[in-house]
Amino acid sequence: MEVFVQLLANTLQIGSVYVLFALGLTLIFGVMKIVNFAHGAFFTAAALVVTSVMPFATATLGLSLPASYLLAAIAAFAVVLCIGAVVFSFGFQYVLKDLNGSFILSIGLLLVLNGIYLAIYGGAPRSVPQVLPDTINIFGARLTEQRLALVIIAIVVTGGLYLLIERTRLGLALRAVAQDQEAAMLQGMPYRRVALSGFLIGAALAACAGVLMAPINAVTTVSGDEFLIKAFIIIIIGGLGSVAGAIVGGLFIGMVESVGGYFFDPSTATLAMFILVIAFLLVRPQGILGNAD
Amino acid sequence: MQIRSPGVWACVALAVAAVLFALLATNPYHASLVVWILTNAVLAAALRFVLQIGELNIATAAFFGVGAYTTSICAVLLGWPFWLTLLLAPLVAALLSALFGWVTLRTKGPYFLLVSFAFTEVVRLIYTQINVIGGNSGLVGMFPPMAIDAHYPAFAAALLAAALFALYGVERSDLGRLFKAIRNNDAIPRSVGLNVVFLKVLCVVIAAAAVGLAGGLHAYANNVIAPSDFSYFVAILALAYVKIGGEGHPMGPVVGAAVLTLVGQRVAGISAWENIFYGAVIVVALLAFPGGLIGLAGRVRGLVRGGAR
Repeated sequence: MEVFVQLLANTLQIGSVYVLFALGLTLIFGVMKIVNFAHGAFFTAAALVVTSVMPFATATLGLSLPASYLLAAIAAFAVVLCIGAVVFSFGFQYVLKDLNGSFILSIGLLLVLNGIYLAIYGGAPRSVPQVLPDTINIFGARLTEQRLALVIIAIVVTGGLYLLIERTRLGLALRAVAQDQEAAMLQGMPYRRVALSGFLIGAALAACAGVLMAPINAVTTVSGDEFLIKAFIIIIIGGLGSVAGAIVGGLFIGMVESVGGYFFDPSTATLAMFILVIAFLLVRPQGILGNAD
Repeated sequence: MQIRSPGVWACVALAVAAVLFALLATNPYHASLVVWILTNAVLAAALRFVLQIGELNIATAAFFGVGAYTTSICAVLLGWPFWLTLLLAPLVAALLSALFGWVTLRTKGPYFLLVSFAFTEVVRLIYTQINVIGGNSGLVGMFPPMAIDAHYPAFAAALLAAALFALYGVERSDLGRLFKAIRNNDAIPRSVGLNVVFLKVLCVVIAAAAVGLAGGLHAYANNVIAPSDFSYFVAILALAYVKIGGEGHPMGPVVGAAVLTLVGQRVAGISAWENIFYGAVIVVALLAFPGGLIGLAGRVRGLVRGGAR
């Protein structure tokens, strides 16, 4: 029972970060029909900003730990949205709907951004103190409050995104563009602006994951890239462009990783995921929740 | 129905010159640089070869590694003869790529791209997990036989150049036309009764065989290989060579590999600037010079001719 609850807790905690990460990737694909190889760079930027603003806020400004974390989070979102707007307006908007071209562009951007991070921050891992260091017991499973907060925030953000897509005008535009860009433009929707909004929301989701993970794991200049291979596997399983697929796939891969990592080792878990993906592609080349086309 | 252009003979002359240079160079560094450039050229040409059917094959890096590991395992662990180990490298790479292609190329959209990336990283992970093949530290001690040891760079350069010509030959053949037809609109080749999935797999297999051979030659040239030599970054560099040289022309990957390998000698080792350099090359080439250096040269020539008239 204890093991079961512990594994469930691990699944939720690993899975919720994966869900946030994969949601951004799948949203950007849905709206712009591009696969953003540089998605991890948004995550990394947010985490790195947190590691540099938090010590500054506590030491120089004398703020309390939660207040400085909040300030760091705001700074992180601002930085990521700026990076997102810059790479969109100087790059991605010229390769919309060009799958290979945009992928190649995003590879180039990833190299440039990683190089810049490395030049600024160097290679050493950076860490910040946990804001909620206490541990709680749920049915015998141990979970830090920090990780519990991560899961709750991820659920709230995912719910918020769902409402945004289903209930707002912007969400309607995003869905319309994802379904049929030309028909949406004929209805008078400004495609470029909708694409930019979708891109920035996607970037913000990656930033959210980065801000949440910064106090939990040490941050390096390539932290975000480690999620990329798993995010790819998630969106293959869930179907590219499918929001529900990203949620289901993210939790599923979180489960494979926590259960596989517990009984075997992390490498075996990654291998198992890949074999699963191949099996999925053989049976359903369009993903579990993907459409046939 | 092949059109013989004078450019082909110029390329043959260039290849002969490269082999002769590797044979006669007194500085071993210069000789190995020729091999390194041609290895990169084969990687880039293979990447471009699969781009013919409209797919970006990150697993180019994986098949390079498979070739290198096949040769090294057969040579170091099994003690098989040199020629056999070198022959097996392209064969094993081709076989594995056939399986990989058969699974991934039946899908539509970006799945091939995504799986080829995941495949590359997973294959690398597998190398690190097997202790017999050295785990993280890899394998050491692949040496060419004594008889050709002194001239190995020239030998490798000749084989790599041959691989480049073979890729070009296929591209100019009827099969190459079919690949281009698939890229343009795969419904048309299908409508005349061609098996499009088989042709796509064939394209990936041919490219993988060339890359596998390059991997085997790389193992003997380097004498040591490690899993980290075969990450997806290898394919990204190959992509940079293709983009800077020009995707539209068969010589593009070769020009790109030569230019960037030589320039790269200056930035290598400074990790941050190396990343920024290659990244900027890709971004600028993609956005500003879609035809690469060769496209640029063509445009300049057109301007000069236009001005003369």
